[in-house]
Amino acid sequence: MLATFKYRRRATFIQRLDPRTRFIFMVCIILALTIPEIWDYRIVFPLFLLSLTLFLMARIEWKDVRRAFLYIFILVFFIVGLNGLLSGRGGPSSVLDPNSPVLFEVPFKIPGTDWGWMVPVTVSKAWFAISQMTRMLSMALLAIPIPYTMDPNIYGTAFKRMGVSDKVSFTMDLAFRFLPTFARDLTITMDAQRARGYEMDKLKGGLVARLQRLAPLIIPVTMQSTVTGEEVIDAMDLRAFGTAPRTWLKDLHYAPRDYAMIGLGVAIFITSCVLKWGFGIGGFFVPDFFTQALVG
Amino acid sequence: MNDKSTWEFGTRQVVYGAIGAALYGAFSLLTNLVPLPAAGNITFRPAVAVLIFFGAAYGPWVGLLAGLIGNTLGDWFAGWGFYWNWSLGNGLMGMVPGLIVASLKDFKARATIVKAVGWGTLGIAVGMLFASLTEMFVGGIDLSTALVGYFTPAFLGNFVVTVILLPILMIAFAGVAARRGR
Repeated sequence: MLATFKYRRRATFIQRLDPRTRFIFMVCIILALTIPEIWDYRIVFPLFLLSLTLFLMARIEWKDVRRAFLYIFILVFFIVGLNGLLSGRGGPSSVLDPNSPVLFEVPFKIPGTDWGWMVPVTVSKAWFAISQMTRMLSMALLAIPIPYTMDPNIYGTAFKRMGVSDKVSFTMDLAFRFLPTFARDLTITMDAQRARGYEMDKLKGGLVARLQRLAPLIIPVTMQSTVTGEEVIDAMDLRAFGTAPRTWLKDLHYAPRDYAMIGLGVAIFITSCVLKWGFGIGGFFVPDFFTQALVG
Repeated sequence: MNDKSTWEFGTRQVVYGAIGAALYGAFSLLTNLVPLPAAGNITFRPAVAVLIFFGAAYGPWVGLLAGLIGNTLGDWFAGWGFYWNWSLGNGLMGMVPGLIVASLKDFKARATIVKAVGWGTLGIAVGMLFASLTEMFVGGIDLSTALVGYFTPAFLGNFVVTVILLPILMIAFAGVAARRGR
């Protein structure tokens, strides 16, 4: 049910990159798509292909990412895609163009009555759903490989070297170390509660019913973690944590490939901004080939 | 509890910020596949009560870091990617109840619990409003979608979770703290 670290050292271009480079590049792509609000497939699709290429270059085994992709496909295709297709939700107002040809209508009726309404699925909404899914996947494909391809011991150093304070960097580092521990504690607690007859697997029913099933899991693990915290604080205080600037065991150095990747990321961001705000390119529109393919 | 300075950021805050983040990430993973009805890409998250508890018990920095890092971890490990505005919104959700940390003494007292739930609710409103409104720039949605499609279900879901689970967490914590003697 829960993830533990799947990091493995691999001889790939992605893992040879400095961790800071990967964070900076990912942020550049996210900003390039979101700050100037890019929806144009001529920009989104190439960025998706770039993200997919980098993901494939990470050479992560399918069995490792199978579950992650199950999550993201459910999110992207069923939740975001269907939302976009039916309601145009999540997009600019031009998605709801009343002149867009209607492909079909989906009936929403109150069961047992004739009351309800028909929701038109238009060409515009269909293209928007595709654009939205591609846009989200472009960003997600850069983030998915990180837990599998970045050494958990390097997170703190990476954030410190990006200018974050010692304490915040150490918080990041500790959080990554604690996560598998708490995931294990959750599993143990879940087994213990199951042995007492609790059914926590089927999270059905209303919010209150779901909470009732989760409370016997959440409360003991949270309380145990506060006790663990005191022990860690004692250990850190005994080593005089926070009394002086700390040193970090691992050192990071940029290589020429890192400068190239950061340069590429910054160039993509600047280009997106210039295209959108300088030339008006990048907004949402339905390409003619898509309309012709669907309605002739 | 301890001598509390609201904006102190020492070893205690570093450790509990990390623990809160790891717990929030782990619990979010557990429930990330349970969407709220009619709520777009917003999920049912009992972990929100844990986040608000950490804010109220250990201060605003702990709440901010736990929400910010925890949401990022939960989304990463679920394979969802990185959504900076929702992570920051979650951070604010933990930070706001942390503003009353110095005034919370007896975690079993009804007045303390009511106060924590009240500030937690304010935190949910601030955090989810921030995330929903910034979604207008990030996702290109309009204001009504941001308020009706994102903010309202997220706020209501998190509010119910907080009202039910936060008092239990606080009473359990009072017992643990009394046994520990600090």
